[in-house]
Amino acid sequence: MLAPISWLKDYVDINVTPEVLAKKLVAIGFEVEDIIYQSKQVSKVVVGKIVHVEKHPNADRLRVTQIDIGEKTLQVVTNVPVVGGEVVALSLDGAHLANGLEIKSGELRGVKSEGMLCGLEELGVSVDAVEGQDAKDIVRFKDGTPLGENALVALGYDDVILDVSITANRPDCNSIYKLAKEVAVALNTECREPEIKYNVVGGNVQDDVAVEVKNQALCPRYMAASVKNVKIFPSSQKIKSRLIAVGIRPINNIVDITNYVLTEIGQPMHAFDKRELGGNKIVVRNAQEGEVIVSLDGKENRLKSDMLVICDETKPCAVAGIMGGLNSGIKSDTQAIIFESAKFARDNVRRTSRALNLRSDSSARFEKGIDFGSQELGLKRALTLICETGSGDVQDGIIDVKVDYDKTREIEFTTRKISEILGCKVPKARLIEILNKLGIAVKDNGKTLTAVIGEDRDDIVGVNDIAEEFIRVYGYNHIKPTLFEYSALTEGSKPSKIKFVDKVKNVMVACGLDEAVTYSFVTPKFADDLNLAEDDELRKTVTIVNPLGEALSVMRTTLTHSMLETLAYNKTHFVKGAKLFEVAKTYIPKSLPLEELPNEVETLSVGMYGDGVDFFTVKHAVEELLRALGKDAEYVRSSRPFLHPGRSAEVLVGGKSIGFVGEIHPDVQETYGIDNFRVYVAEINLDALYDEKEFETKKKVEPFSKFPTVDRDLAVVVDDKYLAGDLLSAVKGAKIKFLTGMKVFDTYKSEQIGKGKKSVALSFSFACLDRTLTDEEIAAEMAKILSALKRKVGAKIR
Amino acid sequence: MKEKMDSIKNEALSLIESATTTAELNDVRVKYLGKSGAISALMRDMAGVPKEERPVVGKLVNEVRFAVEDALTKKTEYLAEVEKNARLKAEEIDVTLPSNGNEMGTLHPLTLVKNELIDIFAGMGFSVVEGPEIESDVFNFQLLNVPKDHPARDMQDTFYINENTVLRTQTSAVQARVMTTTQPPIRVVCPGKVYRSDDDASHSPIFNQFEGLAVDKHITMGDLQGCLQTFAQKVFSKDTKVRLRPSYFPFTEPSVEVDVTCSMCHGKGCRVCKGTGWVEILGAGIVNPAVLDMCGIDSKEYSGFAFGFGIDRIAMIKYGIPNIKMLYENDVRFLKQFN
Repeated sequence: MLAPISWLKDYVDINVTPEVLAKKLVAIGFEVEDIIYQSKQVSKVVVGKIVHVEKHPNADRLRVTQIDIGEKTLQVVTNVPVVGGEVVALSLDGAHLANGLEIKSGELRGVKSEGMLCGLEELGVSVDAVEGQDAKDIVRFKDGTPLGENALVALGYDDVILDVSITANRPDCNSIYKLAKEVAVALNTECREPEIKYNVVGGNVQDDVAVEVKNQALCPRYMAASVKNVKIFPSSQKIKSRLIAVGIRPINNIVDITNYVLTEIGQPMHAFDKRELGGNKIVVRNAQEGEVIVSLDGKENRLKSDMLVICDETKPCAVAGIMGGLNSGIKSDTQAIIFESAKFARDNVRRTSRALNLRSDSSARFEKGIDFGSQELGLKRALTLICETGSGDVQDGIIDVKVDYDKTREIEFTTRKISEILGCKVPKARLIEILNKLGIAVKDNGKTLTAVIGEDRDDIVGVNDIAEEFIRVYGYNHIKPTLFEYSALTEGSKPSKIKFVDKVKNVMVACGLDEAVTYSFVTPKFADDLNLAEDDELRKTVTIVNPLGEALSVMRTTLTHSMLETLAYNKTHFVKGAKLFEVAKTYIPKSLPLEELPNEVETLSVGMYGDGVDFFTVKHAVEELLRALGKDAEYVRSSRPFLHPGRSAEVLVGGKSIGFVGEIHPDVQETYGIDNFRVYVAEINLDALYDEKEFETKKKVEPFSKFPTVDRDLAVVVDDKYLAGDLLSAVKGAKIKFLTGMKVFDTYKSEQIGKGKKSVALSFSFACLDRTLTDEEIAAEMAKILSALKRKVGAKIR
Repeated sequence: MKEKMDSIKNEALSLIESATTTAELNDVRVKYLGKSGAISALMRDMAGVPKEERPVVGKLVNEVRFAVEDALTKKTEYLAEVEKNARLKAEEIDVTLPSNGNEMGTLHPLTLVKNELIDIFAGMGFSVVEGPEIESDVFNFQLLNVPKDHPARDMQDTFYINENTVLRTQTSAVQARVMTTTQPPIRVVCPGKVYRSDDDASHSPIFNQFEGLAVDKHITMGDLQGCLQTFAQKVFSKDTKVRLRPSYFPFTEPSVEVDVTCSMCHGKGCRVCKGTGWVEILGAGIVNPAVLDMCGIDSKEYSGFAFGFGIDRIAMIKYGIPNIKMLYENDVRFLKQFN
């Protein structure tokens, strides 16, 4: 809300600086986002008087002038045909003009020039905003204007405008008058009422128009007045300047009056050309499905039956509360008008405005909510302005079609309750004084109080609202901090699931990975980018109806796409290597279209590239995670389309895949623009690893042997097709006694071993809790191992 | 005999004296004390010494043997020490060379701040609760006193999945879930991702919120202020002050904006706080009784406060991060700074 201080002063005396006023408004709940000084929109432009003019020695079309700016006289070269004695606007060395130009002293064709003569455009001032200037010429002042003065001030363009942010509960304050009331509270002074004074001439409005409201739910109040012998002319300078100051373009006296009232009283108004109202009727009704109206902006709108329109006998003349029709607008020869001042339902205006993509100052105002208090005030203020400006003859009477409503609302409360809400002492006399100041009458019933709320404060419905009205004026500094003085103790805690995720992250950090956080929505192209099959489940995504763009329009079903983009980002930003992880949700719909909320699956993503990074670096992170969570895993070849077929594995826990680890397929690397280096990824479904009971069960320490551990190595030859994991599982399955550890420490191929064969070297550790093992005992177990390997993978000893 | 012994002794001691390695010393040991060594020979020669002279001669031989053995031991220890020192010298390395490069990873600044906040509020008796990011309109708006077509919806640009499902615009949605399923005393904080269709230099369409809710008998605005002051002093610095300003949120009544003294200038006024000394960090208020009633908590008996702020914003203030977008770019050179 833009509020020129000069306009506020119509209603309240302001004797403090704009800065002090802004602070005081903030303190009572009106945030001032900016203080705009009109006279500061350009710098170093002053009033100067031309005292001497002569021809430029080197250029026919230039003149050399001497200009007196009070403290000194400057020499300025100009092409403007000026004569001595004229008073002009002169920009000085270092001036910044509204068109972005910066003025510097210099020479023009060999003659020193210390400034430039300015027109309105260079000063950023609309010709409507000031009196007696020509838009195409330079600015010229009357003789006698103080020399050296700021040219904008001399033009009278020197208002100070507050840009106030109005909260959604105070729609009434989107008006100069209501804001002035709050200013009066902030400054502890009085606010004046709007001036209502007009003469009625001739006939009665009832003879000019009949109003019928067919849908009172969407139009609870419709007021109309008639003005005849209308003359159309430009508004007075005061009205034009004020409209420009709040960002509204002046049109003509009638349209300007509706906009003036909208700004001042907060009531949207509309003026119909009476000639165009067929049958002299105004009918407020729902539109017929498919009915068409061309609005003032020339746009053709096809209406739906839930939209409200203002019609004459037959056709729609306005979309209610949003915009008038082109047909019934004010024209230069309009002779009679009907003013509309109505209350339309907030929700309906909002829906219609969005559906038609039709916006106006009026619809913006209706969407915020208009109270019953402003239709009559707005209409009478408009009629006052008609009289004041001599724009026409106001006809007697006002049409008022309205629903029954309560003019006032009563709220009974106690000071004790207010004090309990706020946690500070509430002096009764001060409470009553503050509420009165805010226009709320208070009846003292002894033990309780009753607040009487007027029709302009729809937001006050209960004692909490009364508490807020009191404290925002009384001051929050009266509240002293306490920490649950009178309420029960509670135990703060972290749920098991968060501890679980913390543990996952800590394992990743310990493995040397940095945590990344990426957007939850991705492009729908991700599925093609990852080469997913047409029927891949990951293609079933939750889609945003109104995304910021297609690239951010579906909720991700895998984190790998985001991880690849992040790695590519780092690579293209000259980062030599990256080891990253992310823990985030993937969004898996239970059905499409959604019938219930989707599953949000806690997921871990890992991604790496750079020196010293390979498949086993990623696998290490996954292994450490599973070890930390006490899970045994198996790794089998993966066939995911975006992974290298020979360098990728499914991670099986309890026989089920919980994710994958692998190198990215070269085709996919190319898609992501990361084709000149190898990229490794893993993605793990953490929810599949999480079981609250299991996670919260503390593991007991297992005993270990105090006797020597014996190590034995074994090298066997197997068919190439067998993986190290196959050999280890074969041994695991053989129930070997005393075995405390085993690993594969070498595999190699050679001609000597034979084609299609490889040698695998394994080492085994044996120990017993209560004694030293004998060579015989160990030899027996080693024999069992060898026989298991022969049986399961056809191993031969080397 | 005596001369012979003295000569052996002197010869041995001189050889020991001149030995420079443990190997040379060992040769000396063999030459004199070995099975066929000179001193061993003397011992054997004792057989030919007359019985009455044996004690005297034996004593002399032993003296020679002890003297040589003693000298050998001392010299061996000395040489071992010398050789050890030489080896240590030879094994010298350049200790300024870097380690093997297995660096620790880092947590994201948003995680670090979130963890810190959880600890602070857990200390004040708040439990952490989480909820879905894809949320029904009912929990995200309606139970929080924002019916459909309410102008307050303009305060938040919402991503819609369908008419009744949104990407949550606030973690207050979780609070609504808690209130509809739990009876007071309630003290919870709800951290998590939230979504608003706002994307420019200072906004990210995804950011992280941290909201809190306390509902019980006798909860006041004073408790809210006390709780937030404790939070601000712990997360920023001990001298941080908190200021409440009237504002509006449909979920709370009275509603306040909360400013803290600028952590850069400690309230003196600087560029970060635009000279005011204060930085706006959160919105809060007394839970609107209508919200309590809608969620099935009797507003005549209970009251509550709620607050909510952006974890991103706290991280930016705390670490001096100039642009919110940096939090989501994941440039390794950025992430590595949060060890």
